[in-house]
Amino acid sequence: MERNSDIEGILTGGQVGRRTDEWSECLELIVQNQDRDAFTRLFRHFAPLMKAFAISGSTFSAGHADELVQEVMLKVWQKAGAFNPDKAAASTWIYTIARNCRTDMYRRLQKFDTAVSAEDMMWEQEPEAEFLVLHQQRTREKIRELMKALPVDQAQILAKAYIEGKTHSEVAGELDLPLGTVKSRIRLAIQKLQIQIQIER
Amino acid sequence: MKVMAKYHPELDLMMEYADGTLSLAQSACVSLHIGFCQHCQRLAEQLSDVGAILFQGLDPVPVGDAQLDAVLGRLDEETPLKYAGTTRDNSVTPAILQRLMSGDFSDLTWKTIGKTLRISYLKIGDPNHELALYHIKAGGRIPEHGHRGSEITLVLEGGFSDLEGSYHKGDFIFRRQGDIHAPTALQSEDCICVAVLDAPLKFTNWKFRWMNPFLKLRLA
Repeated sequence: MERNSDIEGILTGGQVGRRTDEWSECLELIVQNQDRDAFTRLFRHFAPLMKAFAISGSTFSAGHADELVQEVMLKVWQKAGAFNPDKAAASTWIYTIARNCRTDMYRRLQKFDTAVSAEDMMWEQEPEAEFLVLHQQRTREKIRELMKALPVDQAQILAKAYIEGKTHSEVAGELDLPLGTVKSRIRLAIQKLQIQIQIER
Repeated sequence: MKVMAKYHPELDLMMEYADGTLSLAQSACVSLHIGFCQHCQRLAEQLSDVGAILFQGLDPVPVGDAQLDAVLGRLDEETPLKYAGTTRDNSVTPAILQRLMSGDFSDLTWKTIGKTLRISYLKIGDPNHELALYHIKAGGRIPEHGHRGSEITLVLEGGFSDLEGSYHKGDFIFRRQGDIHAPTALQSEDCICVAVLDAPLKFTNWKFRWMNPFLKLRLA
């Protein structure tokens, strides 16, 4: 727990050694006091990341980057009460909202006739035991460290999938690689990140 | 208590689910499976963490104060929810299906095919995939068919078997183009499953072959 908050602190340039990280505190303040200063701090840090995320995505999301930033930040404000620091890091929670909004925007602009949103596709999390929460935090920090050592060709594919929002077939087409090669690089990357696939797949 | 499913989505499907690029109908199947499977829930969480870490590592693109002011101006329209956690009802129907069905299994419009099979097409709004509920009577057999594209089947109730194995509640079965099978529901109970297709089936059995030219995806 301590170690984790230290790392968050260093990464965010915040105070080192605080028990809870700055971003979960901001979310807490929004829920308790509808605190606009806390919201502004979140905005200043995350909005530029969201804009980068929007611009990196499809032409649809790039063309509506400012709209997407606003939509995501409004959702963060509105749904702050659903954030549970025991289940996820604040930054992961905010990323998830950004990802869902970008996916929904893409479908909306392509005129999908759907009543279902990307958020509806999220599973309901079961309450986790305390040791599992700790374990998950350590896993997250380990993944972050291992990510730095990922070979370029594997890191490139992860970036195309997550940041550019491309399917694996699209990535294969763009890099002029067989789909099988893309899939095996993904598998290697996941192994290097020591993510437990849990079962044979 | 979670059901321990035996058949799971492959890694690349799980990643596309986590990075948001998987199609709407296929995502619905993965989401349903995760509701039954703790392994896949864990994996999905970790794969989302990968996305979050990459997101945090992006080079920030400046956002002007005008944007901040615009959002601050709209905050009054939206009150933060004190607790927006999903209210867990004890209904057996998973949330995503409830959204799609707007009612109960019994309220659905079913299309009866032969003595053992009923199909109900659900409107999900995915332009490339058909999503349907299949209800096979206990012991009932679906005529042997091949796949012109891919098919995902997710077992909701009961189970079925084919030459490659037998599948139960929560199992996620992926069939590729060219695979041929004749699923049979378990003898003990009716089987309800969700099936997602990206191309129509193709019957191989001579009695049903005449139907092939007429089979089309229902993207309703």
